[in-house]
Amino acid sequence: MGDTTDIRKGAVIRHNNELYVVTSCQFVNPGKGQAFTKTKLKNISSGKGTEMTYKSGENVDVVEVQRQNIQFLYKNGEFFSFMNTDSYETLDVSSDIIGDDTKYLKEGIMVIASLYEGNVVAIQLPKKIVYKVITAPPAVKGDTAGGNVTKEVELDNGLKIHVPIFIKEGEEILVNTETGEYGGRSAE
Amino acid sequence: MSHIFHISKNKQHIIMRSHIVRLIREFFWDQNFLEVETPHILKTAGQEPNIQAMHITIHNEHHEPFYGYLHTYPEYAMKKLLAAGFGNNIFSICKSFRDHESFGGTHNPEFTMIEWYRLDHDFFALMDDMERMFQYIAQGLKIKNFDVPSSLEKLWKRTHMRDLWREYVGIELDNYLDVSSMYELCVEKGFRPNKEESYEELFYRIFLDAIEPNLGVDEPQIIYYYPALMASLSKRSTKEPGYAERFESYIDGVEIANGFTELTDAQEQLERLKEDKNERARLGLDDYEIDKDFVEAVEHLPACTGNSMGIDRIVQAFAGCKNINDVLALPASEIFQS
Repeated sequence: MGDTTDIRKGAVIRHNNELYVVTSCQFVNPGKGQAFTKTKLKNISSGKGTEMTYKSGENVDVVEVQRQNIQFLYKNGEFFSFMNTDSYETLDVSSDIIGDDTKYLKEGIMVIASLYEGNVVAIQLPKKIVYKVITAPPAVKGDTAGGNVTKEVELDNGLKIHVPIFIKEGEEILVNTETGEYGGRSAE
Repeated sequence: MSHIFHISKNKQHIIMRSHIVRLIREFFWDQNFLEVETPHILKTAGQEPNIQAMHITIHNEHHEPFYGYLHTYPEYAMKKLLAAGFGNNIFSICKSFRDHESFGGTHNPEFTMIEWYRLDHDFFALMDDMERMFQYIAQGLKIKNFDVPSSLEKLWKRTHMRDLWREYVGIELDNYLDVSSMYELCVEKGFRPNKEESYEELFYRIFLDAIEPNLGVDEPQIIYYYPALMASLSKRSTKEPGYAERFESYIDGVEIANGFTELTDAQEQLERLKEDKNERARLGLDDYEIDKDFVEAVEHLPACTGNSMGIDRIVQAFAGCKNINDVLALPASEIFQS
């Protein structure tokens, strides 16, 4: 048993004897009224989505899950194949479970899987991932004056994001996977 | 290193923010409101059980420590100013600080607030102020060539709290204005409340689930008359027994303002502060000393009505930003988590 402070993306919650994984959550405190956390949940067995609002401090039945480091290998039809780096076992995870985060996957990155009864029910990406810029339009003189302080580039896994205009092709940059935004040049 | 990028990306929002702050000041100056400043560092914090203050230690020249808090809102200090009597309506634009809230989304640990008090009026005057202020901001932004959502230029939808419960819960709220009836209603609706829950906790179980997601969706909406047990710092209504003259307003489902016809009964104020202090103890929260000077201020408070709004959220509404981080030069998430 936990409370609302334990609600975070990827947590598994038991509600009315069904298990749900938290796909997104937002904390709201009106100040002069009760604070609450709005959640989007996905039923683990049916895959159906639902929304729940918990008031702060309320008991929430957070289910213990096994956490395991796994490495992304490749996309395999509707599934994404990962390797358990302890047992070298291959795990196929459906795109439903990974959701929007599939766009951040690239070969070789390590993620943390939440396993319940041996099945992956959620994955957690590293907060920042390093990508190589493969195509970037050159910065044009006067761009900054015109208010064009960012430009769109394509990264080595096909992801497109906005970066500062000084970023060049071939550079390695960080992307913040929580916000989907440029997170600085890679120090590596 | 992403600070400068964050700022560059949100440059237009930061420029818009600057205009909005200017327009808000002009709006109140033009009506002869006096702008006041209040201290950010206080010895004791506001008693609301849902707001947590940040601890702070300061030292004098003898290196003696003094323990206090960053203010969570300027209300107590502004009421002390009103009690001293300037014969003027007053407003303040200030930073406010709240602990244990999210970094981004709808919150940032420090945010900017506009709070104003109008003498000899009730809370309906504040609703007019709010609408006129938004129209003034909209006009001012258009002159500077910003696009403005048309819904923010119109009059706001006003709904009595009782009508919301009729529409979305199908009950007469007048029959559920005490703890035991609201407890029974929660049980009937399938919730499993604890016996010791306050009226407000029970109320919000249903409100957050069945009502709140529908508020302010297509146009800004004002919800007025809250049950008297949720009066906070507002006056009980004489026109609507069982209710308090308190309102909140919503834009896109986000609460943007909280206004009251102010309580001027010092004894009742003291009782409410004691109840809040006990509630804080029950919830295991920090114990804040009761600010006796504030109680004295309420005793001398002229009849007035007061409202506070988050300026960051006003900018979000005009800029169409879902995340508060996009209207801040450097949000806490950039400072502590990037």
